[in-house]
Amino acid sequence: MSKMNISKYLANLFLWALCITWIIPVIFGISTSLRTQSEIVQSGFRLFPAEWRLENYVTILGNTSTAPIMRWLFNSVFIASLHTFLVIVVISLTGYGYARMKFKGRDTLFFTLLGISFFPGVVNIIPSYKIIDIFGWVNTSLAMIIPGLAGMGNIFLVRQFLKGIPHELDESARVDGAGDFRIYASIILPLIKPVLIVCGLFSFVGSWNDFLWPVIVYTDVDKMPITAGLLLLQDIYGNYRMIGQLMGSAIIAIIPTLLLFAFAQKYFIQSINLNSGIKG
Amino acid sequence: MRKKSFAPVFFVGPHLVLFLIFILIPTIYGIYASFTKWNLMNDPQWVGVANYKTILLDTTSTFHTQFFNGLTNTFIFVAISVPLLIVIPLLVAVSLEHRKVKLKGVIQAIIYIPGLISISAAALIWLLLFNKQLGIAGNIFNSQVAWPATQPYAWIIIFVITVWGGVGGNMIIYRASIAGVSKDLYEAAEMDGAGANRKFFSITLPSIRFPLIYTFVMTTAGAFNVFGQPLMMTDGGPRQTTHVLMMYIRQLAFGHGESIAGMASAMAVLLGMVILVISALQYYVMNRNANE
Repeated sequence: MSKMNISKYLANLFLWALCITWIIPVIFGISTSLRTQSEIVQSGFRLFPAEWRLENYVTILGNTSTAPIMRWLFNSVFIASLHTFLVIVVISLTGYGYARMKFKGRDTLFFTLLGISFFPGVVNIIPSYKIIDIFGWVNTSLAMIIPGLAGMGNIFLVRQFLKGIPHELDESARVDGAGDFRIYASIILPLIKPVLIVCGLFSFVGSWNDFLWPVIVYTDVDKMPITAGLLLLQDIYGNYRMIGQLMGSAIIAIIPTLLLFAFAQKYFIQSINLNSGIKG
Repeated sequence: MRKKSFAPVFFVGPHLVLFLIFILIPTIYGIYASFTKWNLMNDPQWVGVANYKTILLDTTSTFHTQFFNGLTNTFIFVAISVPLLIVIPLLVAVSLEHRKVKLKGVIQAIIYIPGLISISAAALIWLLLFNKQLGIAGNIFNSQVAWPATQPYAWIIIFVITVWGGVGGNMIIYRASIAGVSKDLYEAAEMDGAGANRKFFSITLPSIRFPLIYTFVMTTAGAFNVFGQPLMMTDGGPRQTTHVLMMYIRQLAFGHGESIAGMASAMAVLLGMVILVISALQYYVMNRNANE
């Protein structure tokens, strides 16, 4: 029994120590964003403000020239939402095609594409930029919305999910004379909702947090998403001249994904159950 | 039958076009560009293996120095971050299985959340937290140096933010896998008097070998593409000791001055080959050991 107790204390100690370490930066960022510059500089490190002030947020939200954060937020929301919507459309259509339709070379085509997609993405970044440039998409939202739709990962998940659903429903509809589009829209779409929600959530978060690609394709401050914008802040609020504003901007940038997690936590956590292949 | 023949084009066609334009063509073109002199604007000029020769053999060239410095730093990042990103999530997942741990959902959520935070936002906060005057570096650790500009602290802060952001994803995978292991196995082992360690090494680990292989391969491949953490935390310093290969590739292709995209493509192809070879080796070795 004493052995059980030791392991109980060890497990709890480890987990709570980790949790406290994990949450400190978030608390520190929020609290610093609510302190004035003079208080921060004079009193140095503290986890909670002596006085809670909202002035930094007024300054940040009022900046529409060097660091237009409302503009960046709007850009990010627009990019991530439209990208997510299109991901759901593309993967459901394509997943249906590869799982349910009969055409020559279907599986060969699918596995060829899947194999090619395993090739390291680092090689295609530079030519992708050139293609975006040819289309005239540099410094536009399309540069971030469209290329990500080409991926195979989510289509693989939808196809796997569909393989687990018996064919009886769509076959009886087919006997009744329904075409592929009717079957897709009225039978398959409702059935694959769980996998679409999970893929949609991860697409949104992935698009919101993407960093390398926006840093490459945006030079126009007004067109950037917020992750690329934050890179500029080091120069604008940086060198520790306007610390509260710097922290406030970071906090504003992380609120949307945290809200999403708060409302859809179970989908994030259970996502892995969809991928039975890796669960083992 | 005849009227159906266009339906697959409607369902599969749009993605196929996207795949060609944004994956297949850029990948082939990226390999082709590595054999050319190219500034992203004009047509690439074929130069054969000259770029590779310069990068790999010409010790007087800055490209040679940059490539090997970048590759070394990338390997350092992979060698230290990958074990941490496997072992810590595994320890968390096993600890969360303990019967006497309460508030499991809360703990899991707190550890998962940093994975949803963008690197640029996270880095602004962590940099201030590690600041000498205003954060914990000077006030708690009594350190008199600037961490992002001094080794080994520059590496340490990169690993801290990487582990902080990366533990949650693998933890979720391990938790789900461990939950799938048959309870009968543990009960039988307890009857035979097996302790916690014995149960972990003889039952848990072998039962989750596929998720282990999967996360090991994926985490490693991801770590080779490291870019955001060193760019934001140290900007490659001090004296380029945390300057990783992705940063050089971006600099050469998209930095100030004329683009050197051909050379950058050659470095990208070399990095891609390193990733492919290592992923294949990992998969081969681990799968063979797992099947014995």
